[in-house]
Amino acid sequence: MAEFSPGLEGVVAAETAVSEVDGANGRLIYRGGYLIEDLVPVATFEEVAYLLWHGELPTEKELDALRRQMAGARKLNTPARGTLMALDTATDPMDILRTVVSAQGASRALTKPTLDEAIALTAGFPTIVGAAYRRRQGKDLVEPRDDLGHAANLLWMMEGKEPDPERAHWVDTYLVLLADHGLNASTFAARVVASTGSDLTSCVVGAIAALKGPAHGGATFAARSMLDKIGSADNAEKWLTEAHARHERFSGFGHRVYRTYDPRAKILREMAKTAAPDLYRTAARTEEVALRILHEAHPERPNATNVDFWASVVLTGAGIPKELFTTLFATSRVSGWTAHVLESLADLRIIRPASRWMGPQPGKKPMQLAKR
Amino acid sequence: MSSAYVPGLEGIIASQTAISMVDGANGRLVYQGYVIADLAERMSFEEVAFLLWKGRLPTKAELEGLSLELAGHRTLTQAANIALDALPTDTDPMDVLRSVVSVQGVEHRLAKPAIPLAIHATASFPTILAMFHRRQLGLEPIPPRRDLGHAANYLYMLNGKESSPEIVQALNTYLVLLADHGMNASTFAARVIASTESDLISALVGAIGALKGPAHGGAPAAVIEQLELIGTADKAEQWMRDARKRKVKFMGFGHRIYRVYDPRAKILKEMCRRMNPKFYALATRVEEVALQILHEEHPERPQSTNVEFYSAGVLQAIGLPREFFTPTFAVSRVAGWSAHVLEQAANNRIIRPQSEYIGPEPRKPVPLAERG
Repeated sequence: MAEFSPGLEGVVAAETAVSEVDGANGRLIYRGGYLIEDLVPVATFEEVAYLLWHGELPTEKELDALRRQMAGARKLNTPARGTLMALDTATDPMDILRTVVSAQGASRALTKPTLDEAIALTAGFPTIVGAAYRRRQGKDLVEPRDDLGHAANLLWMMEGKEPDPERAHWVDTYLVLLADHGLNASTFAARVVASTGSDLTSCVVGAIAALKGPAHGGATFAARSMLDKIGSADNAEKWLTEAHARHERFSGFGHRVYRTYDPRAKILREMAKTAAPDLYRTAARTEEVALRILHEAHPERPNATNVDFWASVVLTGAGIPKELFTTLFATSRVSGWTAHVLESLADLRIIRPASRWMGPQPGKKPMQLAKR
Repeated sequence: MSSAYVPGLEGIIASQTAISMVDGANGRLVYQGYVIADLAERMSFEEVAFLLWKGRLPTKAELEGLSLELAGHRTLTQAANIALDALPTDTDPMDVLRSVVSVQGVEHRLAKPAIPLAIHATASFPTILAMFHRRQLGLEPIPPRRDLGHAANYLYMLNGKESSPEIVQALNTYLVLLADHGMNASTFAARVIASTESDLISALVGAIGALKGPAHGGAPAAVIEQLELIGTADKAEQWMRDARKRKVKFMGFGHRIYRVYDPRAKILKEMCRRMNPKFYALATRVEEVALQILHEEHPERPQSTNVEFYSAGVLQAIGLPREFFTPTFAVSRVAGWSAHVLEQAANNRIIRPQSEYIGPEPRKPVPLAERG
């Protein structure tokens, strides 16, 4: 039997063509062989989703068809709507997403995951996120708009007014950047569920459940919360020094894979300058001080600003409240989750690892209840 | 360092655990040191759940405490009741369970997994299923009974009347036998989700999604369907040899771990002999033929009747409708899932394996207008 590697670190658990994280060189490669920084200037979220699902970028005609299919699948069905309205308006938006996606996909019989289902699932996320937000605000829900792109429709569903193109562009770029990232925990959860022959909704619900964790998708919220506490660029040195002395973790720093600057963080950092100039100044100073303190404490570790740190600034600039950050992450990553599940169907084999027994020697005899 | 890709993570140690051990070579299943045969027909499900959660069998006072706690949490939240009613009556009960457990858990948000939460979740599964079943039949829901044990109350809520002690005992034994089984796919899914520091309900919802797959928990109903197609014992050999030519899979055979007869299947087989003689007569003949044919095809493979084969006969004798077979598996396994989540949370590291990229080498994307 093999050695135990906690967290399966370094263990290859799947072969994939959906994406590759080349940590040593700081590269994120999406399906088809495209580097993330090359895609951002030329492709919208819909094009990237198409790429992850099909392996190639769409032609204008193909993109048009995808956009129409997505626009036609934005509404919630009756069970999903009934379930949404059953939930308290203050419910954690990730719990709302997990639950309503589950209800939307509840069906009579088990079916094999299909591309059409992947498209419909992806199309429905902004509707649920927008509804969760409006209910929190005590506002009536709005109907999806089929003339808007994915990112713009998301903002429309939250705010009930057409967003300016620049904000929609920031959200769209965020969605492109976060769409896939190798075998992260939520994607792996989706592949484990898929490996039993289960349906696509079950896979996506499991992935949402994993993304909810603060050590995974919850990190963007934590980064923004830390920036809120720091408050201003002037306060960064003092706050971080004290936090470090209290052994507090700096949110938005540290990852397992990249040895150089995360290529997504680099793009978001640049966008943050125009998207949120004030918060950018606080964040840039925070980054400088945090990296210095971390380097002094652990000179052997690589530079570690992660995508969550700068995503929190850009999303703030785009007008997304921090309570919704993790659901925005899910809105993007659902394209990658579904691409991984569809890919895994080609050679489905149940993921059933081994465990190492740490309990008592087998064979002790249970004592009768009365004698215990 | 990354190791070579092992499909399905077969033989790769993904966790250290003291909850259960599957000793495939010797055909032993061990819960916290106790061999399953020593627990199966002597312990209540409640005692075994306590064992899995706490690592030891309860005293009489502790068992009474747990029973009270379970009985006190059998009613659903108002939101869960509304969500249950929002689902169509022909929905797959596994999808009902996935959705309503998701609702039932929202009030706990990101609470750290703890035993009281495990107890509450475990208490809710029979209620969700029984209430849905009553709705399917157009009958009024039956309120839970605090004076009944876990198995007896489940049957009472399904049927509106108390079952005979023999039937209650049979269901109890089934629940004990299925409560945990090493690092199976649904348990592993739960641990992957918990490893992101997500909450217990999220982990359970993901596990339900994984259990739904036909390669995992979704098979016992298919066993009955296949036996019905075969019809009678004297037709078994001809039907099965013909079926094999059409590449039909024999339901209830094959597993990755046991080299000898699955100890749970042995107990369930004996229960079928006593309780379901009609099923037993046909099933034992089908088993004999299946093993013969499988041996002819793959003489190197071990004997392979799995737990689902005779589970089907026991659950049928208990009077459960077949679409409730897999959900009843979940009623049992939730004890193990939650024990594993507690163990994972107590000594956590995010489960984030690697993937091997099999896509094209990096290249430049073509802008939309130039594609086609």
